Amino acid sequence: MWDLSSKYAIVGVGESERSKNSGTTPLHLALRASRNALADAGLEAKDIDAVMSYSEHDSCTSHQVSTYLGVRPKYVKDIIGGGSSTELLIGDAIALIEAGQANTVLIFRAMNGRSGVRMGGGNWSTDLLQSAIDGGSFIIPYGMASPSQWFGMFATRHMHEAGLTQEHLGHVCVSFYEHAQRNPKAMLHGKPLTMENYLQTAHLSYPFTKHDFCLETDEANAIIVTSAERAKDCKSRPVYIKGLVSREMHPHSHYWTDLTQVAADYVGERIYESAGIKPEDLHVASIYDCYSWVVLRQLEAYKIAPREGLGEFVTQGNLKMGGKLPSNTAGGMLSEGYTHGMNNVLEITRQLRHEYKGTERQVEGCELGLCTGWLGPDGAGALILSN
Amino acid sequence: MTTEKTSTKYEKPIPLKTLDNHPYWDAADNHELAIQSCCDCQKAIHPPGPACPHCGSPNMEWINYGSDITGEIYSYVTTYVPMLPGFQHDLPTIIAQVSVDQVPGIQITANIINAKPEDIAIGKAVKMTWLDITEDRALPQWKLIG
Repeated sequence: MWDLSSKYAIVGVGESERSKNSGTTPLHLALRASRNALADAGLEAKDIDAVMSYSEHDSCTSHQVSTYLGVRPKYVKDIIGGGSSTELLIGDAIALIEAGQANTVLIFRAMNGRSGVRMGGGNWSTDLLQSAIDGGSFIIPYGMASPSQWFGMFATRHMHEAGLTQEHLGHVCVSFYEHAQRNPKAMLHGKPLTMENYLQTAHLSYPFTKHDFCLETDEANAIIVTSAERAKDCKSRPVYIKGLVSREMHPHSHYWTDLTQVAADYVGERIYESAGIKPEDLHVASIYDCYSWVVLRQLEAYKIAPREGLGEFVTQGNLKMGGKLPSNTAGGMLSEGYTHGMNNVLEITRQLRHEYKGTERQVEGCELGLCTGWLGPDGAGALILSN
Repeated sequence: MTTEKTSTKYEKPIPLKTLDNHPYWDAADNHELAIQSCCDCQKAIHPPGPACPHCGSPNMEWINYGSDITGEIYSYVTTYVPMLPGFQHDLPTIIAQVSVDQVPGIQITANIINAKPEDIAIGKAVKMTWLDITEDRALPQWKLIG
């Protein structure tokens, strides 16, 4: 088991309003999310001494956020990165506190993901893409410039090998959309999805329809991490970081040349040992869901279902409330909102605090949760959280 | 004249030649396939790079496999919306990763230019062809055969 198991905790979570057009800047959104996370933890801004963020050149800096929270930070760090960066920065925060460089760390992701810089929206310079992506010259000239195509190439092959059909992708979407109907703050609240509707939806890029893509939202999220010792002084119920694999990578930086493995496979090998639990001990999960298929591939990587049983697992409704592993219970990035994964971390924290107790949103009595991050087939990380 | 020139201009991205990849694209311009190979572990390397990703060796050579290149579809996506300039004229775009018969261990990604989406399946046989996209550049592509 990991030496630092349960010695650190998430003590505050917060978000800004979520919309398609915020009418404001990522800095304003980040400040709102950060103030909400501070209020949630019962902390004041001066209690924060380190701030970190991740972005895709579409956000504000940690120094700006510190400044306008009224904090002189001891330490700031802004990394370029998308999915799995929350897990990565939580690992960094723990290391920083353990090294005596900070006490309480705020991590945020702020983006106008719909009204501002859109991911894979086709506005990137094609020469820049060829240079920025390792091996880009071998895919960009063929029109392969979107994660839906990079990940889709993995999906088609994996579906072929695992006997997965369009309907199985649909079960992931239908399950998460169902959760969004219980979450008034979800973008697709009030817009349920039936399997019949799903199967009638045209492909944007085979094997994905628009329902298989995550949303684009303007939104900021923030979380506060500190030691279990300091967590006792916070207002909120701490959610302990019981297991951590902050980052694993695919063996090759041209990851799309090897469709047989994804970085999450390496995380899945280590994460349960880190927490001293087994996959069947989990009660709830947040599984990174930039595309529906990514959830299926991670169910395999994290040993929640074997390759040959993935289709059956989702067909039986095991991702839904009351299933074997209720997942993405706020609707996930497919139907709640999209902040490169951080909204899924907020939701599982709330589940493990039993914040929804007495409502149909609560996973009854949950104590152990898995939260996964997926940069792509190239990179991944995960947390096991407990209350 | 100006209009005519504009309408025949190649709008899609043209492969950028770099220090590490130019022998591949130089061979493509001659309608041939050249693949980097490790002199130590003997494995084929694609896309090419500054060292062997299989064993870390800096000792590499280029092998020219000529113009008679075949393979089978290993995976594919079919895209119905343009993700890059130029592809709006060419929808849906079929992008396939193909296992190359002549070079075991590598896959080459390109479009399948003579097929409809319903004709594509994993395992189908294809043959490499080269499209002359500018006066001095050619782009390897795949065609379904049989």
